[in-house]
Amino acid sequence: MPAESDIKIMPKSVVCEESTLNGDITISSGCVVHPSATIIAEAPIVLGENCIVEEYATIAHRLKDGAASDASNTLHIGANNVFEVGCTVEAARIGDKNVFESKCFVGSGVTVSSGCVVGAGIQLRTAQVLPENTIVYGRQALQREAIEKQGSQTLQIDFLRKVLPNYHHLRKPNYDPKKARSVV
Amino acid sequence: MSFMQPSPVKYACSCGIVNPINKLFFCRHCPKLRCGYCVSHEVESHFCSNCLENIPSSEARHKKNCCANCFDCPCCHHTLSARATTVPVVRKTEEPKDGESAGAATPPPASSKPSAVPTTKKMYYLSCLSCRWTTRDVGIPDQGVATGTWPDNECLYQARFNTLMEYYQSVVLQEKQEKQEFQRRKAPKAHKFPSLTDRTGLTVSLIRRQIGWSEKNVPKTKPLNITPAEAISELEDLPQDIFTQPINLRNITTVAQRHSQPADQPTAVGNLYPQRRSLWIKRSLRCRQCEHNLIKPEYHPTSIKYRIQLFASYHVPEVVMVRLEHPLEAGQSNAILLKLSNPTMYDMTISILDEKPTEEPQINPDEFQATCKIKEEAVTSSPLMKVAALARQTLTKEVTREVRDVANAKIKLLESEFVLNQRDDSKEFDEEVQAQTEEPNFIVWRKGNKVLLRLQFTPAAELEVNDVVTLGFFMQYTYVNTVSNTAEKKEPTTHTLSSRLFIDAGRIEKGN
Repeated sequence: MPAESDIKIMPKSVVCEESTLNGDITISSGCVVHPSATIIAEAPIVLGENCIVEEYATIAHRLKDGAASDASNTLHIGANNVFEVGCTVEAARIGDKNVFESKCFVGSGVTVSSGCVVGAGIQLRTAQVLPENTIVYGRQALQREAIEKQGSQTLQIDFLRKVLPNYHHLRKPNYDPKKARSVV
Repeated sequence: MSFMQPSPVKYACSCGIVNPINKLFFCRHCPKLRCGYCVSHEVESHFCSNCLENIPSSEARHKKNCCANCFDCPCCHHTLSARATTVPVVRKTEEPKDGESAGAATPPPASSKPSAVPTTKKMYYLSCLSCRWTTRDVGIPDQGVATGTWPDNECLYQARFNTLMEYYQSVVLQEKQEKQEFQRRKAPKAHKFPSLTDRTGLTVSLIRRQIGWSEKNVPKTKPLNITPAEAISELEDLPQDIFTQPINLRNITTVAQRHSQPADQPTAVGNLYPQRRSLWIKRSLRCRQCEHNLIKPEYHPTSIKYRIQLFASYHVPEVVMVRLEHPLEAGQSNAILLKLSNPTMYDMTISILDEKPTEEPQINPDEFQATCKIKEEAVTSSPLMKVAALARQTLTKEVTREVRDVANAKIKLLESEFVLNQRDDSKEFDEEVQAQTEEPNFIVWRKGNKVLLRLQFTPAAELEVNDVVTLGFFMQYTYVNTVSNTAEKKEPTTHTLSSRLFIDAGRIEKGN
């Protein structure tokens, strides 16, 4: 089990203390991680800017047999992603502006590009690539292509950034990219 | 009663179909059990299930049974909801440079001119919350108001449809006129006094001709000419690339999507347009024999109450299967515990029979019908309702089909009949100090309007393992009818009614 100190939290992000963070995790600025959200990094995870990880959401980067758990095997999650309540995402790659709706499951073989929406309760288990702007919806997990990407959640992030500190203890930002650069 | 799983106790309707009690109705005027198949269904009112607006039937017909304001998603058939966006309005006085950057969310504080103050305007588009389809996907421009201004998608053949409809309407009109004309000629008007023309054989048209007047003619409506459809024998060839280009299944509509847009049935997702939401109806049920309403809902769409509700579970004793005493075995005597409850305000005398009891002499059916008719007139006094009554599906004679006897167990009948007490809600809260009366030994337990009954039976000896054992019997009960069919009788009358019941007791567990 990697130590807690592997977690890097950039300034201006809101990470609740009750969240479960395991492994080498970098949370970029502007992210919101709700209480009881789970991020499991058997290999390093870098969460992009302005992502929202809601309650009971699980983001996992599982280690495959023989794969290295060092920086060469990093899961880079893009910016402006939303992981809604109760979703489980183990995707191999995640781009920008995706929405994982409530209780969906994205398996480890799935590559999610950008602007995709995985609808509520949908289970994607087989290895596949979701092209840009794909929307998976409905009971039969039909796919369609959206014309434009999903709008960013700026309002929601601003609201959460205001509200969450009132009711939860936060993990302190412990890594400042500017300072780090100055040190180097 | 559990609504989630099918009840093992089924009642035979008077039409012969077997149903659980919560699907049955009870006509107090006949008085008989009725089910959904032996009543006439009528449309009480139209409403939109999304905006809950009540729409009169004439307007509903005019709008093709669709709501004017609500739309369904053409992609996944959910309801679309209007979303608002703020769009910066570009003033004409501004430089083109400002106009370019107006697409951004915040227009730059460009010039010092007062006209350049950024003003925003609310614009609406429709969006599906399930599949995130928006009206922008198919290029429908955003609207300034949320409802009412969305364009109807006119399909390619709309004009042809309209001319065909006009044509056939005029054909119908012409046929009607010709029929009237024919009737008028066939049956000349019988005047009170014989006129001159009757005796002399002169007709109005003859006289007119003799005088030299022009023929008086009603201008006949002639159907418009339509161009008949032509069959094409030569079809265009398929495009060459259909065999070479890979298909992008995301751009092709599903069968359900095509069927939801029947006018043009688009093959490409780019041609999906929001569909007007179909109206829902409230339904009233009417007994086909006596034409009384069994179910009449409240008019208002938001109300879930009824004005008339004659559900069987309010009038017929309810039988619930509790348990069996032993596992079922073919040919071995067993006992079943049944809980009976009385939903009415009068005591019931119940007996279990194994064959249909002889009917007590019913009220004279003709007289009965006549009194019902009078009542009906009084109820449906408004002219609109009368028209509706005429258009109503013809009330047929009750077709009684034989109830298929599926019982395969022998019932040991009870020694005597027993009384099921009236329902009294206040008794629920009373302390239980009921005087122990002498009960027949088949009654296990009694409280208020409920009785637990022990009924002995023997499954047929030839049943195999896993065969379903069905008990069948007639339950005879007294029913106090508070409505009177004749005007002079006011006090409630007591009928002895019977229902045939089938109980699915379970499967045979052990062989002999």
